[in-house]
Amino acid sequence: MKKETKIKTPDTNLLLKHFESGDNQEKQQMCTYCGLILFGCFLFLCLRLWYLQIYRGAEFKELSEKNSIKYVRLQSYRGNILDRSGRLIAGVQPSFNIGVVLKDVQDVESLISKLSQLLDETATDIRMRLVSAKGQPSYLPVIVKRNASWQEIARVEARLYRLPGVVVEVAPARQYPYGTVAPHLLGYLGEVSLDQLKSGNFPHAVPGDLVGKSGIELKFERELAGRSGYKMIEVDAKGRMIKVLKVQKPMPGKDIQLTVNLDLQLAAEDALSGKSGALVALDPRNGQILAMASSPKFDPRIFSRGLTKMEWKELNDPLLTPLVNKAIQGQYAPGSTFKIVMAAAGLREKAITPYTSFFCNGSLKLGRRRFRCWKKGGHGQTSLYKALVQSCDVYFYNVGLKLGVDRISKYALGFGFGKKTGIDLPGEKAGFVPTRQWKRRRFREPWQKGETLNYSIGQGFLLVTPLQLARMIAAVGNGGKLFKPQYVLDASHVLQAKVPVHTGTLALIRKDLVGVTEDRHGTARTCFIEGIHVAGKTGTAQVIKQMKRRESEKMAWKYQDHALFVAMAPANDPQIAVAVIIEHGGHGGSAAAPVARAVIERWLKLRSPKPSTILQRKL
Amino acid sequence: MLNKRILKEIDYVFLLCLVFIMALGFINLWSASAAAGYPFQWKQLQWYVAGTCLMIGAMSFDYRKLSKYSLHLYIFTVIILILVMFIGKSVSGSQRWISLGFFNLQPSEPAKLLMAIVISAYFAQEEKERFGLRDLVKPTLMVALPFLLIFKQPDLGTALLILIIYGSLVLFARLKWGSFLIILGSVLCAFPLVWKLMKPYQRKRVEIFLNPDADPFGAGWHVIQSKIAVGSGQLLGKGFMKGTQAQLNFLPEVHTDFAFSIWSEEWGFAGAVVLIAAYFLFLLRCLNIAQNTRDRFGSFLVFGITAMIFWQMLINICMVLGLLPVVGIPLPLISYGGSSVITTLLGAGLIMNVRIRRSLFQG
Repeated sequence: MKKETKIKTPDTNLLLKHFESGDNQEKQQMCTYCGLILFGCFLFLCLRLWYLQIYRGAEFKELSEKNSIKYVRLQSYRGNILDRSGRLIAGVQPSFNIGVVLKDVQDVESLISKLSQLLDETATDIRMRLVSAKGQPSYLPVIVKRNASWQEIARVEARLYRLPGVVVEVAPARQYPYGTVAPHLLGYLGEVSLDQLKSGNFPHAVPGDLVGKSGIELKFERELAGRSGYKMIEVDAKGRMIKVLKVQKPMPGKDIQLTVNLDLQLAAEDALSGKSGALVALDPRNGQILAMASSPKFDPRIFSRGLTKMEWKELNDPLLTPLVNKAIQGQYAPGSTFKIVMAAAGLREKAITPYTSFFCNGSLKLGRRRFRCWKKGGHGQTSLYKALVQSCDVYFYNVGLKLGVDRISKYALGFGFGKKTGIDLPGEKAGFVPTRQWKRRRFREPWQKGETLNYSIGQGFLLVTPLQLARMIAAVGNGGKLFKPQYVLDASHVLQAKVPVHTGTLALIRKDLVGVTEDRHGTARTCFIEGIHVAGKTGTAQVIKQMKRRESEKMAWKYQDHALFVAMAPANDPQIAVAVIIEHGGHGGSAAAPVARAVIERWLKLRSPKPSTILQRKL
Repeated sequence: MLNKRILKEIDYVFLLCLVFIMALGFINLWSASAAAGYPFQWKQLQWYVAGTCLMIGAMSFDYRKLSKYSLHLYIFTVIILILVMFIGKSVSGSQRWISLGFFNLQPSEPAKLLMAIVISAYFAQEEKERFGLRDLVKPTLMVALPFLLIFKQPDLGTALLILIIYGSLVLFARLKWGSFLIILGSVLCAFPLVWKLMKPYQRKRVEIFLNPDADPFGAGWHVIQSKIAVGSGQLLGKGFMKGTQAQLNFLPEVHTDFAFSIWSEEWGFAGAVVLIAAYFLFLLRCLNIAQNTRDRFGSFLVFGITAMIFWQMLINICMVLGLLPVVGIPLPLISYGGSSVITTLLGAGLIMNVRIRRSLFQG
């Protein structure tokens, strides 16, 4: 039945495929059906138009005529952030924003000049804000002044009738009763950007809203933000309210109670002030964060009001990096604090016993190179205890040679280095644990024995964060448990892993580490605290290579060594573990240990308010 | 080619409808431009003129060549869609435009027309009484590529439109009943999957469509304000340039996606029905041409282009009347936009092309 006909047309020679006659009939029928469907759609649309324009027309006409419906947004109150005993760290208080509804403005330029006279803002700044709001709906106010002062509000309110389009809004703003506490941990608020709105991560935000941009404020944005409500009001032609038609109440955000102890946090921040560095204090028994400080600090409030160029430059200082939370984002060589891991590894792998001793004459010769101990004359005959207390490098060079790079890396990973701790904060860094395979991949060179020596004393490729260090020393204190660091009080603790070392070995190391603060030759005598045994270990991380170094103190600040210190107390039943890093601070014992001491002392006072200490405070 | 014999074959009702719709579109844009604050109507007039020239061009060659070169057309479609991914201009988050200097081309617009041609050519060549599932594998894969490319831009509306045009042509080619039921079932099952693939803002639009009161400041605003605009037009409208909703900027996108909204506000029920009637008369003429063409390819081609115009119109008007979620599909010839106008007029030219050659092949 197929009918293929070739037809010659004047200009082309193309194949024509006609429908078979039966097919053609079916096709024609199909078209008839489609025509009927079309007609049905036509009737359907007409019906809908009739419903909207005739049946409900009068109602819509009234709505549009006076332009009479206005929605007023009712902002929700952001949840509070509390410390572990319920003290308010970050709350909210009402503040006033002055905004401009662009669709109601006739002459933008004259409005800008009028506003610049009334507000403490330059015309350029106001114009910038209006321009940056391009693309957002014109019926939403663009905020030109956040947190306006009473004088400004009074001046604007008095002239409101001559400033069409200008609105004064009440909006809750963050308030910090104790000043700027832990800004890195809490994070800051800023105006939501268009990209963030599109991302869908802020489903209830509208342009102009403040949302969390970092830290807990970002991580718990959903919980903290709550949901805004609205008021539907009927207004007359001049915009005056006639009546409220409908109110949807805002839902306030949830409060978040942290594990952070405000006293310890303040003590840490005081001790760190003027320095660049970080401190982390953990509860070794469950991984709760008692304090997390990074220095220098910043004032989180300046982000919501808009930064000046100077402030922005200051915040992005490449050396001090005030915006970086160094406790989780700073990556440093652990220096001699790594000797704790080395001792544990050596004992577990039976490379050494608690009684092994090596002779230190000030250096160790490997091939043609000399690897020096920090003490020029050497430590003489050195036991494990002495090696830890006096931080003998040669002793651990020997341990390192016996273990080899593979086993060192295994224990470094085992103590939680080289991977993220899993703390629920944006931007955590993982640090780095080198391996033989990595070296070959990265540099196309085999691993050198000399690198194993550097590795043994925590220098070289190995990088850790202060939080990882705190977790490591906490694990030494709690019998080898690596907890997920938590900062929310009602989160149940999560045991992530166990350190591959026997509990007895850890207890032995703990006992030796007490000597660091209490022994006559201990490197951290500065952290000796009366009434409590503190177990600790100092560290010094080289910033530039040993070859080029002269005396550290004489060099420019930015080339000086980082000072580190890890500690736990009380040594027999640790309840607080602390890690401190002072960037370019010099020696761990002199620069970092006093900071840890301040926090541990504070903790001791809180734990047992002896009459004498209370008296002292009163005096 | 355009001799007297051919001029006699021209469907003048069809042409009249086109010109009438364009005239209404121009009047409407005049008003919408006042609201939007930019004289879009003059630029649109340029597109009308350019489009009409192209339409005449599209009438003047033998349309069957398109079938011969359908593979080339397909490759061309894919290339411009890939090109837009690399050199496309990004406007508010989606990469849809290629800048040609004098004009920003939106490749997804001609892609609709090109895909209608390519699919028609395929079905015209495969002569089957009824198509089964296995026969659909190849064309479905052919459609999937441009669909994904447009979906990625992201332009969900246009991507779905291509699927709908394809679906219309499949139905026109006639399926086996079993296959039809299987496809219907799997399309229904695919909804949750599509939902998962959608961007958050797209999901939000659907949610807001279902409950516009939930977000009166965001996307819900458009739906609410559009309904108020249409409804307040009542029987005869508020008059030219007097639509308060549009002129006071309560309506978004008055010159593009919501153009029908301002039309209904200013010309009322009467004006809206007249415009819709013009569309349907036009579409009925198109169907008539498809019905009376004995050439398989010609018939499929006319049907495909008709489906393209019909679905765009239906989806856009339903959106404006609050019957569908807000998707970025323009109203053909009424909404401002060079790519859309030219695509529609080119399509109309091809339909006319089939019409005037009908008699040549009747033998």
